[in-house]
Amino acid sequence: MACDGAWQIIQTATLLEVEDQSLVTLAVASQDTAAYGELIRRHQSQVRNFLRKLAGGSTEDADDLAQECFLHAWDKLQTFSGRGSFIGWLLKVAYTTFLQSKRKSKRYSEVLNEVGYVAEQQSRSYTQDTNEVSDLDKLLAVLTEEERAIMVMSYACGLSHREIGDATGLPVGTVKSIIFRGKDKIRTNFDIKDHKHG
Amino acid sequence: MTSKIINMVEKLKDAEDRLLESMFAAEPIADGGFSQRIVAQIRRRIWVRRLALPVAMLVGGIVAFKPVMQLVTVSSTLLGVVPREFLEIPASVLPQVESVTFGMPLMPMIVLSAMVVMAGILGTRLLNE
Repeated sequence: MACDGAWQIIQTATLLEVEDQSLVTLAVASQDTAAYGELIRRHQSQVRNFLRKLAGGSTEDADDLAQECFLHAWDKLQTFSGRGSFIGWLLKVAYTTFLQSKRKSKRYSEVLNEVGYVAEQQSRSYTQDTNEVSDLDKLLAVLTEEERAIMVMSYACGLSHREIGDATGLPVGTVKSIIFRGKDKIRTNFDIKDHKHG
Repeated sequence: MTSKIINMVEKLKDAEDRLLESMFAAEPIADGGFSQRIVAQIRRRIWVRRLALPVAMLVGGIVAFKPVMQLVTVSSTLLGVVPREFLEIPASVLPQVESVTFGMPLMPMIVLSAMVVMAGILGTRLLNE
C-alpha cells in the first residue's frame, strides 16, 4: 500500500517533467489515464477560461462544457498529430463541443416552441447572463460568436493565426480579417484606452 | 522563409494589441479536483468498455442456449429421417451426436461454441469501431 503511494508520487513527479507530446503518446499507447490527468491539469485553466468567455453564462455551465470537452478529447486523442500545439488542438475540441451543445440546446428550444411551451428567455443577449457585467463582457457582447471565439483564442489564449485557423477550420487570411473586424467593432463601440480589466 | 516572416509580422504587436491582451487576460483557474473528476470518469468508462464484451457474451450465451439446444435436437432428429443413401459419408468424418463432452452432447456443444466465438469476434469488431 505504502509502496503504491510512493510509486504514484514518483510517477507524478516524472510526469511533471514530460512534454505534452510525450504525454499524449503515453496516453494513447497505453491508455495511461495518469498521463492524460497531467495534461488536463496543465491546460484546464485555459480551456475553462476560453469556454467561460465564449459561453458567457454561468461558470458551472462552462465547466460542464469543459468536462465534456476533455472527455471528447480523450476519445479523439489518437487524432492529435503533434503538428501544432496541444492547447491549440484542445481549444479546437472545446470550440466544437461548444458549437455542438449550442446546436443541441437550439434544437431543444425549437421542439419546446413547437409544442407550445413558452421557454424562459433563452435567446437573451450575452451580457444579460451575468449580474455583474465586466468591461470584457460588454466588449465581447458586440462581437459575433465566431469573432468572440477567435478574439479569445488570439488575445486570451495566445494562439497564433495558424493555430486559430486549425482550430476553427478557417483559412489564415479569414482569421486575420475576422480579428481585424473584431478590433474595429471594439474600437467603434468603446474607448478601449479607458478600460478596466475584465 | 515566408512562414518565418509571417510569424515575425504576427509577433510585432502594436499598443492596441497589447491593450486587448491585458483586457482579455484572466486569472488562472485552480484545478480544485477538476482533473481528478475527469480521470475518474474516464477510468469508469474504460472498465465499462472492458466488461461490456464478456457480459454481452455471457448474456447472449444464456439467452441463446435453450433455442439453440432445441434447434440442434430437432435437426438431429430430422437427420434420422433422411434416407441412408444421402448420408453415405464415412461416420468418422461427421461429429458423433451420441458422444458426450462435459455432460453435453457434442453437436450442441460445437454449435454453441461457434456462436460464442462469432459473438466474440463481432463484439470485438464493434468495440474497435
